[in-house]
Amino acid sequence: MSKKFDVAVLGGGPGGYVAAIRAAQLGYKTAVIEKENLGGICLNWGCIPTKSLLRNAELYDLMNNHADEFGLKVEGLSFDFSKIIKRSREVSEKVTNGVEFLMRKNKIERIKGYGKFKDKNTIEVFDDKEELSDTVSADKIIIATGAHPKQIPSIPVDRKKIITSREAMSLDSQPKEMIVIGAGAIGVEFAYFYSVFGTNVTIIEMMDSLVPVEDKEVSQTLERSFKKRKIKIYTSTKVLKAEVKSKKVKVTIEKNGKEEILEADTVLNAIGVEGNVDGFGLEKIGVEVERGHIKVDKSTYQTNVDGVYAIGDVIGPPWLAHVASAEGIYCVEKLKGLNPPLVGYESIPGCTYCHPQIGSIGLTEEKAKDEGYEIKVGKFPFSASGKSAAIGEREGFVKIIFDAKYGEILGAHIIGPEATELIAELGLAKSLEADFETIVKTVHAHPTLSESVMEAAANAYGESIHI
Amino acid sequence: MRVNIVMPKMGESINEGTIIKWHKKKGDKVQKDEIIFEISTDKVDTEIPSSEEGTLVEIKAFEQETVEVGEVVAVIETESDAASNADQEEQKSEEKVPSTKQVGGDLIDIPMPKMGESVMEGTIIKWYKKVGDNVESDETLFEISTDKVDTEVPSPVKGVLAEIITNENETVEVGEIVARIKSSTGISYGKIEDKKAEPQKETAVAAKEETTKKSSSTAEIYLDKPVSDRFYSPVVLNIARKENIPFDELERIGGSGVKGRLTKKDLFNYLEARKSGSVTKPRPTEYQSKPSQKETVKFEASETQTTSFGNIDVVPMDNIRSKIMEHMVKSRDTSVHVTAMIEVDMTQIHNYIERNKDTFQNNEGIKLTYMPFISYAAINALKQFPFVNASIEGNNILVKKFINLGIAVAVEPNGLIVPNIKNADERNIRGLAKAINQIGQKARNKGLSPDDISGGTFTITNYGVFGSLFGTPIINQPEVAILGVGTVTKKPVVVEVNGVDSIAIKPMMYLSLAHDHRLVDGMLGGRFLKAVKDTLENFDINLV
Repeated sequence: MSKKFDVAVLGGGPGGYVAAIRAAQLGYKTAVIEKENLGGICLNWGCIPTKSLLRNAELYDLMNNHADEFGLKVEGLSFDFSKIIKRSREVSEKVTNGVEFLMRKNKIERIKGYGKFKDKNTIEVFDDKEELSDTVSADKIIIATGAHPKQIPSIPVDRKKIITSREAMSLDSQPKEMIVIGAGAIGVEFAYFYSVFGTNVTIIEMMDSLVPVEDKEVSQTLERSFKKRKIKIYTSTKVLKAEVKSKKVKVTIEKNGKEEILEADTVLNAIGVEGNVDGFGLEKIGVEVERGHIKVDKSTYQTNVDGVYAIGDVIGPPWLAHVASAEGIYCVEKLKGLNPPLVGYESIPGCTYCHPQIGSIGLTEEKAKDEGYEIKVGKFPFSASGKSAAIGEREGFVKIIFDAKYGEILGAHIIGPEATELIAELGLAKSLEADFETIVKTVHAHPTLSESVMEAAANAYGESIHI
Repeated sequence: MRVNIVMPKMGESINEGTIIKWHKKKGDKVQKDEIIFEISTDKVDTEIPSSEEGTLVEIKAFEQETVEVGEVVAVIETESDAASNADQEEQKSEEKVPSTKQVGGDLIDIPMPKMGESVMEGTIIKWYKKVGDNVESDETLFEISTDKVDTEVPSPVKGVLAEIITNENETVEVGEIVARIKSSTGISYGKIEDKKAEPQKETAVAAKEETTKKSSSTAEIYLDKPVSDRFYSPVVLNIARKENIPFDELERIGGSGVKGRLTKKDLFNYLEARKSGSVTKPRPTEYQSKPSQKETVKFEASETQTTSFGNIDVVPMDNIRSKIMEHMVKSRDTSVHVTAMIEVDMTQIHNYIERNKDTFQNNEGIKLTYMPFISYAAINALKQFPFVNASIEGNNILVKKFINLGIAVAVEPNGLIVPNIKNADERNIRGLAKAINQIGQKARNKGLSPDDISGGTFTITNYGVFGSLFGTPIINQPEVAILGVGTVTKKPVVVEVNGVDSIAIKPMMYLSLAHDHRLVDGMLGGRFLKAVKDTLENFDINLV
C-alpha cells in the first residue's frame, strides 16, 4: 500500500512524535513511522520508567534510613523487587498510550513497522517478519531515529551479566553486586537506585569525578553523598576489559598505572549513547554521517540531502529528550516558513535524578573562566534554608554564575532537594536574559526551596540575607 | 588668559579680508559681542564682534591692512586671568559644565541658527550626536523644527561634542547657544593657553571627567526612556548601557528572538559588525525615514484617558502640527474664501503621458505625471490674470512680476509643507516636472532650506493623488488663490461630433480654485479657471 504525505517522520520518540504533532498543527498531512511503542527510549526505556524506579528508591530510602528522624516507627519493612519493576513498566505503558492518543487527536497517521529509505522521498515499511507492509512517500522526511547505548569491544554486552540501561530497568531479580561503568547521569541514577535496595555498587569513571559534565562542586557534593551510601567510587579509572567468568563478571581496571580486578554478578555498561544511523538506507540516499551521527545544518536541521531532515539524538549531543523535542518543533516551524528563534543550546537544562538531585544549565564555573569571563559567583546552601530543614533535606546548594561585566547569568548549578524542578526558574531567567537584579527583586514565596535561588543570586552581589 | 582674535572666515571662497576700521583701541575694555573692528572682503563689508570679555591688549593688523583668514589680528586679555587663584577655584566648583574659559582646548559655541528672516526661534527635535561623540565638519549635529521648516544643522567644525545645552524638544531663540564643540583644529576663535597657569590644567582634567561622566549619564537617560514598547531584556539593557548604545540605536537593530526580540547575541553581533565597520552608525537619511514609517503606524500617546465612551489617547501636538494649525486658522481669518470648480477633459495629456511615460522615465529618471502640465497651464493663466498672482498689504495690492509656484507636499506622518518653484514661468514641462519632483523629495527628506518655502506667489494642491474628486483648499497666505487638483478618472461624457451628440469615454478631472474674494471676484476666478482648462484641453505637445 502506498501513501502520500506532506511530512513523514521516521521514529516516534520525543523528537519524532513532537515534530509530527507540530507538523499536523501547522496543517501538514503527517505520518510517523515507528516499529515499537511511540515515545522512544524516553518513554519506554529511559526517562519515564527510570523516574518511576527512582521514586521507589526515594520512598524506601526515606522509610529505611530516615523514619526515626521523623519519629516514625517502621517494622518489618521489605520490598518486592519484581513489583517495583512491574510498576515502572506500567507507568511507561500508560504514558506511551497517551502518545498514541495524541496521534489520533492530531490526525497523524501512525505507521507501525521498520522504515527504510527507498529514495529521498520514499520510505518502505517492513513488519516483524521483515515483509514490506507499507510504502510512504512524502515531500519532506524528518529522521528522528534516536540513539542506543554505546558498546565497545572490551565490554561485551550479553544482556544478562553485562547489561545496558534497558536491562537494568527490567531485571527479574535484584543483583547482589553491581559494577557501573560510567558515572554520567544514567550511571549515577542506577548506582543510587540499586544501592538503596542493598546492592553493593561500585562505580567506575574514566574522568576525574562523578557526573563530569557538571560543576566541580556539584560533583564533589555528590561524591560525598554516595560515599555515605557505601557506594565504591573509582574515578580517573580506565576499564581495560570485562569478562564473564562462570557466574561472575571480572572487570580489569587501571588506576594511576596500576591494574586491579573487580568482581560482581552484574556489570552495567553506562558509557554513553550513539546515534541510530545504520540499517535504514541512509547510505542509499547519500545522507552524510560523521562519527556515528547525522550531520545537519542547525538553522534548518536539513541534512546534506534536500528535503531530508534529522533531529534529536541521531544528530549528536546533547542527548536529551527535551532537546530532541525543541529541535523537532523548530525544524517543522522553519519548514512552514515561520521564523522561530534558534534552539538555544546554551540554555538547555540538564537533570540527574539520583539523590541528591542535580539540575544545571549553562556554563560551569571552570568553563566560564576558561572562556575568559570575569565572573561573580553566588552560592546558597540548602542547610541555610528553612524549608530544607523542615523537610529534612539539608544536603546541597544553589550556585549561580554571573558575568561580572553585563550581569548575565552564565550558568546555574543546583544539587539537592527538587533540584530538577528548581532549575526551571533559572532556565527561564537565562533565556529571558534576566540579570541578578531581576531574580533578586522577584519576590519568592516563603518557605520554599526556590528562595534559595533568590538568595544565591543575591549572594553573588553580597546581598544575601540568610547567610 | 590671552585670547587671539583672528580674521574670520566670511564665506567659502573668501580667503582674505581688509580691516577698514578699528572700533576699539589698545587698552580698551571690550564686552562680549561688542563690535571691535570692521572688515571688507570682496563680497561683503561686516562688523566683527568680540568673542570674549576683556581688555584689548594687542592690535596686530592695522586699518587698510589685508590679512588672510585665520591670521591673528588682535589679542584680548580676559578677566579670568586677573582673578586670583582662589577665585578660580571657586569658579571651578560653581561651574557645573566646562565653559569656554576653563577648558584649555578650543570650545566652539554652536548657536541656534537663523533659518529665515521671520523665524525667531527653533525647536531641537533630534540630536544626532551625544556628548563625547566625534563630530566631523559639516556632519549633521542636530535637527530643528521651526514654524516654517524642519532642517538638519551641520557642525561648523570638526571636534568632539563637549556639551549639549538644549535638549530634544526644547525651543530656544535664534542665536542662543545650544551646544559646545571642543574643536580639534581650533580655527574660528584661536586661544592661547597660558602655559604657566597650572591650575587650569587641572580644570581641564576636571572638565574632561565631567564630560565623560556626563556622556555616560546621557546614555542612561536615553535608556530610561524607552521609545517603543519593544521588550529589552535586562542583560541587553546592561550591555547597551555599558557600551553606550542609545535607545534609538537599539530600536534599529534587528532581533532574532521570539517575536523579533533583540537578544544578547544579536547585540553582540551588531557591536562586532559595527566595530569591524560593516555596519556604520545609521546615516541621517536612514534616520529620517525610519521614525516616520513608525509614526505612520501609530502616534505616540503620552497618556490614555478613559471616558464613559471608551479610551482616548492623548497625543501631544508636535511643532509642525501646531504651526499648521496656526497657519490654517490665520488664513481662514484673513481671506474670504470662495471656491469655483471646472471640469477638464484630460484626453490629450492622458494620451501623451501614456505614450511617453517610459521614454520620459528612461531619459529623465522621474515619472511623468499630470502635475507639470497642470502647473504649466496655471502659470499661463497667471500670466493672463496677474491679479491672481498677487497679495494684499493694507490698502495696496502687490502684483508680483514673478511666478514662484508653490506645490503643497504631504510629509508623512502628518506634516504639510508648501515649497515653491522659483521663477516657474521660465521653465518648460520638462523643467517643471524635474522641479516638482525635486522639491517633493526635499520636503519628504527634510532637506528644504528656508529659501525654498518663502516667496511663493500661487499654490497648487493635488488632493487627487488620494482619489478625491474635488476639494475647497485653504489659501497659503499671503497669496490670494490656490488651485486644487482632483483625480483623473474615466467617465462617460457627451461629445458633439459633426453636430451629433454622442457619448464617449474620456479621462476627466475637476479643478477647483479657492480665491480670496477681497481681491479675486467670481469673474476673475472663473476666467482664470477657464484659461487653465483651455490650455490643458488644447495642449500643444510640441511644448514638452
